[in-house]
Amino acid sequence: MHSWGTRLLAAATTAAVLLVAACAAASALDAFHVPSVEAQAHVTKINRFHKQINGNDKVTLTFSLSANLESLFTWNTKQVFAFVTAEYETAKNSLNQVSLWDNIIPDKDQANVQVEVKSKYPLIDQGTSLRGKKVQLVLHWHIMPNAGAMIRGKMPLSEFTLPDTYTS
Amino acid sequence: MDWQGQKSAEMLMQVLLVASAVAAFLVGYAMADFQLMLLVYAGGVVLTALVTVPNWPFFNRHPLKWLDAAEADRHPRPQISSAPATTGGKKKTGKNK
Repeated sequence: MHSWGTRLLAAATTAAVLLVAACAAASALDAFHVPSVEAQAHVTKINRFHKQINGNDKVTLTFSLSANLESLFTWNTKQVFAFVTAEYETAKNSLNQVSLWDNIIPDKDQANVQVEVKSKYPLIDQGTSLRGKKVQLVLHWHIMPNAGAMIRGKMPLSEFTLPDTYTS
Repeated sequence: MDWQGQKSAEMLMQVLLVASAVAAFLVGYAMADFQLMLLVYAGGVVLTALVTVPNWPFFNRHPLKWLDAAEADRHPRPQISSAPATTGGKKKTGKNK
Protein backbone atom coordinates (compact mmCIF):
# COMPACT_ATOMS: atom_id res chain seq x y z
CA MET A 1 0.00 0.00 0.00
CA HIS A 2 3.05 2.26 -0.04
CA SER A 3 2.81 3.31 -3.70
CA TRP A 4 -0.07 4.11 -6.02
CA GLY A 5 0.89 1.10 -8.17
CA THR A 6 0.41 -1.43 -5.39
CA ARG A 7 -2.84 0.26 -4.36
CA LEU A 8 -4.13 0.10 -7.93
CA LEU A 9 -3.21 -3.59 -8.24
CA ALA A 10 -4.77 -4.39 -4.87
CA ALA A 11 -7.98 -2.60 -5.86
CA ALA A 12 -8.10 -4.39 -9.23
CA THR A 13 -7.53 -7.83 -7.68
CA THR A 14 -10.13 -7.33 -4.95
CA ALA A 15 -12.60 -5.95 -7.49
CA ALA A 16 -12.11 -9.00 -9.76
CA VAL A 17 -12.60 -11.45 -6.88
CA LEU A 18 -15.79 -9.68 -5.79
CA LEU A 19 -17.08 -9.66 -9.39
CA VAL A 20 -16.62 -13.42 -9.52
CA ALA A 21 -18.47 -13.69 -6.21
CA ALA A 22 -21.37 -11.58 -7.51
CA CYS A 23 -21.60 -13.68 -10.69
CA ALA A 24 -21.50 -16.90 -8.64
CA ALA A 25 -24.29 -15.58 -6.42
CA ALA A 26 -26.38 -14.66 -9.47
CA SER A 27 -25.84 -18.13 -10.90
CA ALA A 28 -26.65 -19.79 -7.57
CA LEU A 29 -29.98 -17.95 -7.39
CA ASP A 30 -30.99 -19.57 -10.70
CA ALA A 31 -30.99 -22.94 -8.94
CA PHE A 32 -34.05 -21.81 -6.95
CA HIS A 33 -35.92 -20.66 -10.04
CA VAL A 34 -38.64 -23.13 -11.01
CA PRO A 35 -40.03 -22.32 -14.47
CA SER A 36 -43.54 -23.28 -15.49
CA VAL A 37 -43.57 -23.81 -19.24
CA GLU A 38 -46.87 -24.19 -21.04
CA ALA A 39 -46.66 -25.64 -24.51
CA GLN A 40 -48.73 -27.56 -27.00
CA ALA A 41 -47.92 -28.83 -30.46
CA HIS A 42 -49.53 -31.07 -32.97
CA VAL A 43 -48.76 -32.16 -36.49
CA THR A 44 -51.18 -30.55 -38.92
CA LYS A 45 -49.97 -32.16 -42.13
CA ILE A 46 -47.55 -34.76 -43.39
CA ASN A 47 -46.27 -33.02 -46.53
CA ARG A 48 -44.19 -35.83 -47.97
CA PHE A 49 -43.21 -39.29 -46.78
CA HIS A 50 -40.91 -41.26 -48.99
CA LYS A 51 -37.88 -43.47 -49.19
CA GLN A 52 -34.66 -41.76 -50.23
CA ILE A 53 -32.36 -43.23 -52.90
CA ASN A 54 -29.94 -44.28 -50.17
CA GLY A 55 -32.74 -46.21 -48.48
CA ASN A 56 -33.55 -43.91 -45.57
CA ASP A 57 -37.10 -42.90 -44.73
CA LYS A 58 -37.71 -39.17 -45.00
CA VAL A 59 -40.67 -37.15 -43.76
CA THR A 60 -41.37 -33.47 -44.12
CA LEU A 61 -44.27 -32.24 -42.06
CA THR A 62 -46.05 -29.12 -40.88
CA PHE A 63 -46.86 -28.60 -37.23
CA SER A 64 -48.32 -25.90 -35.07
CA LEU A 65 -46.57 -24.93 -31.87
CA SER A 66 -47.86 -22.81 -29.05
CA ALA A 67 -45.27 -22.36 -26.32
CA ASN A 68 -44.99 -19.80 -23.57
CA LEU A 69 -41.35 -19.79 -22.47
CA GLU A 70 -41.49 -16.48 -20.59
CA SER A 71 -41.08 -18.20 -17.23
CA LEU A 72 -37.65 -19.47 -18.29
CA PHE A 73 -36.23 -15.96 -18.22
CA THR A 74 -34.63 -14.59 -15.07
CA TRP A 75 -32.42 -11.53 -14.63
CA ASN A 76 -29.45 -13.81 -15.31
CA THR A 77 -30.70 -15.12 -18.67
CA LYS A 78 -28.86 -14.11 -21.81
CA GLN A 79 -30.94 -16.09 -24.27
CA VAL A 80 -32.88 -19.30 -24.65
CA PHE A 81 -32.41 -21.84 -27.41
CA ALA A 82 -35.59 -23.79 -27.99
CA PHE A 83 -36.01 -26.73 -30.34
CA VAL A 84 -38.60 -29.35 -31.16
CA THR A 85 -37.49 -32.93 -31.68
CA ALA A 86 -39.27 -35.98 -32.97
CA GLU A 87 -38.48 -38.94 -30.72
CA TYR A 88 -39.26 -42.56 -31.49
CA GLU A 89 -38.11 -46.05 -30.72
CA THR A 90 -36.68 -48.56 -33.18
CA ALA A 91 -35.53 -52.13 -32.83
CA LYS A 92 -31.92 -50.97 -32.97
CA ASN A 93 -32.12 -47.89 -30.72
CA SER A 94 -34.42 -47.30 -27.80
CA LEU A 95 -34.30 -43.53 -28.40
CA ASN A 96 -33.98 -41.69 -31.72
CA GLN A 97 -34.03 -37.90 -31.61
CA VAL A 98 -34.40 -35.80 -34.75
CA SER A 99 -34.49 -32.03 -34.51
CA LEU A 100 -37.35 -30.61 -36.59
CA TRP A 101 -37.30 -26.93 -35.76
CA ASP A 102 -35.31 -24.55 -33.58
CA ASN A 103 -35.39 -20.96 -32.48
CA ILE A 104 -33.13 -18.58 -30.55
CA ILE A 105 -35.14 -16.41 -28.16
CA PRO A 106 -33.02 -13.38 -27.26
CA ASP A 107 -35.58 -11.66 -25.08
CA LYS A 108 -38.49 -12.33 -22.75
CA ASP A 109 -40.78 -10.29 -25.03
CA GLN A 110 -40.26 -12.86 -27.79
CA ALA A 111 -40.70 -15.89 -25.55
CA ASN A 112 -44.35 -16.46 -26.33
CA VAL A 113 -44.10 -18.55 -29.49
CA GLN A 114 -47.22 -19.17 -31.58
CA VAL A 115 -46.32 -20.61 -34.96
CA GLU A 116 -47.47 -23.03 -37.59
CA VAL A 117 -44.39 -24.02 -39.54
CA LYS A 118 -42.97 -26.54 -41.91
CA SER A 119 -40.27 -28.53 -40.16
CA LYS A 120 -37.01 -26.66 -40.68
CA TYR A 121 -35.13 -29.94 -40.84
CA PRO A 122 -36.61 -33.11 -42.36
CA LEU A 123 -37.30 -36.14 -40.23
CA ILE A 124 -34.91 -38.70 -41.67
CA ASP A 125 -34.56 -42.13 -40.14
CA GLN A 126 -31.34 -44.06 -40.52
CA GLY A 127 -33.18 -46.97 -42.01
CA THR A 128 -36.71 -47.81 -43.08
CA SER A 129 -38.53 -47.99 -39.77
CA LEU A 130 -40.75 -44.91 -39.98
CA ARG A 131 -43.87 -46.46 -41.60
CA GLY A 132 -46.65 -46.72 -39.04
CA LYS A 133 -44.27 -45.49 -36.35
CA LYS A 134 -45.54 -43.69 -33.29
CA VAL A 135 -43.51 -40.48 -32.93
CA GLN A 136 -43.48 -38.08 -30.02
CA LEU A 137 -42.87 -34.35 -30.36
CA VAL A 138 -40.71 -33.01 -27.51
CA LEU A 139 -39.89 -29.38 -26.78
CA HIS A 140 -36.35 -28.87 -25.49
CA TRP A 141 -34.81 -25.68 -24.19
CA HIS A 142 -31.29 -24.61 -23.29
CA ILE A 143 -31.13 -21.57 -21.03
CA MET A 144 -27.89 -19.65 -21.53
CA PRO A 145 -27.23 -17.47 -18.49
CA ASN A 146 -25.12 -14.34 -18.30
CA ALA A 147 -23.06 -16.04 -15.63
CA GLY A 148 -22.98 -19.73 -14.82
CA ALA A 149 -23.59 -23.04 -16.49
CA MET A 150 -26.18 -23.74 -19.20
CA ILE A 151 -29.49 -25.13 -17.93
CA ARG A 152 -31.37 -27.70 -19.99
CA GLY A 153 -34.97 -28.71 -19.86
CA LYS A 154 -37.58 -30.53 -21.94
CA MET A 155 -41.25 -31.26 -22.11
CA PRO A 156 -43.12 -33.89 -24.13
CA LEU A 157 -45.81 -32.31 -26.28
CA SER A 158 -47.85 -34.79 -28.31
CA GLU A 159 -47.72 -38.06 -30.16
CA PHE A 160 -48.61 -38.82 -33.73
CA THR A 161 -48.48 -41.89 -35.93
CA LEU A 162 -46.91 -41.84 -39.35
CA PRO A 163 -48.89 -43.42 -42.22
CA ASP A 164 -48.37 -47.07 -43.06
CA THR A 165 -47.44 -46.30 -46.65
CA TYR A 166 -45.19 -43.79 -48.40
CA THR A 167 -47.05 -40.85 -49.93
CA SER A 168 -44.84 -40.70 -53.00
CA MET B 1 1.51 8.24 2.36
CA ASP B 2 2.28 7.51 6.01
CA TRP B 3 1.72 4.25 7.89
CA GLN B 4 -1.69 5.21 9.24
CA GLY B 5 -2.65 6.37 5.75
CA GLN B 6 -1.68 3.02 4.24
CA LYS B 7 -3.75 1.17 6.83
CA SER B 8 -6.80 3.35 6.30
CA ALA B 9 -6.39 3.20 2.49
CA GLU B 10 -6.49 -0.60 2.58
CA MET B 11 -9.48 -0.65 4.94
CA LEU B 12 -11.30 1.93 2.84
CA MET B 13 -10.59 0.01 -0.36
CA GLN B 14 -11.97 -3.27 0.96
CA VAL B 15 -15.02 -1.73 2.61
CA LEU B 16 -15.91 0.32 -0.48
CA LEU B 17 -15.46 -2.62 -2.87
CA VAL B 18 -17.54 -5.02 -0.77
CA ALA B 19 -20.22 -2.36 -0.28
CA SER B 20 -20.40 -1.60 -4.01
CA ALA B 21 -20.53 -5.31 -4.87
CA VAL B 22 -23.40 -5.90 -2.43
CA ALA B 23 -25.23 -2.76 -3.59
CA ALA B 24 -24.74 -3.70 -7.26
CA PHE B 25 -26.07 -7.21 -6.67
CA LEU B 26 -29.13 -5.95 -4.81
CA VAL B 27 -29.88 -3.28 -7.43
CA GLY B 28 -29.39 -5.75 -10.28
CA TYR B 29 -31.61 -8.34 -8.64
CA ALA B 30 -34.30 -5.83 -7.71
CA MET B 31 -34.41 -4.33 -11.20
CA ALA B 32 -33.94 -7.77 -12.81
CA ASP B 33 -31.15 -6.35 -14.94
CA PHE B 34 -27.77 -8.07 -15.06
CA GLN B 35 -26.16 -5.28 -17.06
CA LEU B 36 -27.25 -2.74 -14.46
CA MET B 37 -25.45 -4.78 -11.80
CA LEU B 38 -22.26 -4.65 -13.85
CA LEU B 39 -22.61 -0.89 -14.41
CA VAL B 40 -23.25 -0.13 -10.73
CA TYR B 41 -20.32 -2.30 -9.74
CA ALA B 42 -18.05 -0.67 -12.34
CA GLY B 43 -19.02 2.70 -10.90
CA GLY B 44 -18.17 1.50 -7.41
CA VAL B 45 -14.78 0.20 -8.55
CA VAL B 46 -13.93 3.49 -10.29
CA LEU B 47 -14.98 5.45 -7.19
CA THR B 48 -12.87 3.19 -4.97
CA ALA B 49 -9.86 3.64 -7.22
CA LEU B 50 -10.32 7.43 -7.19
CA VAL B 51 -10.52 7.49 -3.40
CA THR B 52 -7.74 5.07 -2.50
CA VAL B 53 -5.17 5.07 -5.33
CA PRO B 54 -3.93 8.71 -5.41
CA ASN B 55 -1.85 9.95 -2.48
CA TRP B 56 -4.50 12.26 -1.03
CA PRO B 57 -3.59 14.69 1.78
CA PHE B 58 -5.85 12.92 4.28
CA PHE B 59 -3.59 9.85 4.06
CA ASN B 60 -0.69 11.99 5.32
CA ARG B 61 -2.02 13.25 8.66
CA HIS B 62 0.29 11.11 10.82
CA PRO B 63 3.85 11.84 9.63
CA LEU B 64 6.63 9.79 11.21
CA LYS B 65 8.63 11.77 13.80
CA TRP B 66 12.25 10.91 13.17
CA LEU B 67 14.78 11.32 15.96
CA ASP B 68 17.37 14.08 15.59
CA ALA B 69 20.66 12.97 14.02
CA ALA B 70 22.48 14.08 17.19
CA GLU B 71 20.75 11.25 19.11
CA ALA B 72 22.87 8.70 17.23
CA ASP B 73 26.09 10.31 18.46
CA ARG B 74 24.82 10.44 22.01
CA HIS B 75 24.02 6.69 22.03
CA PRO B 76 26.79 4.98 20.03
CA ARG B 77 26.29 1.49 18.66
CA PRO B 78 27.57 -1.17 21.09
CA GLN B 79 30.72 -2.92 19.82
CA ILE B 80 30.76 -6.72 19.70
CA SER B 81 34.00 -7.77 21.44
CA SER B 82 34.01 -11.60 21.39
CA ALA B 83 34.79 -13.37 18.11
CA PRO B 84 32.02 -15.59 16.67
CA ALA B 85 32.29 -19.29 17.59
CA THR B 86 33.65 -21.08 14.51
CA THR B 87 34.03 -24.53 16.06
CA GLY B 88 30.28 -25.02 16.47
CA GLY B 89 29.67 -24.33 12.77
CA LYS B 90 32.26 -26.89 11.73
CA LYS B 91 30.65 -29.53 13.91
CA LYS B 92 27.27 -28.84 12.38
CA THR B 93 28.51 -29.21 8.81
CA GLY B 94 30.23 -32.43 9.81
CA LYS B 95 26.99 -33.81 11.13
CA ASN B 96 25.08 -32.86 8.03
CA LYS B 97 27.55 -34.77 5.86
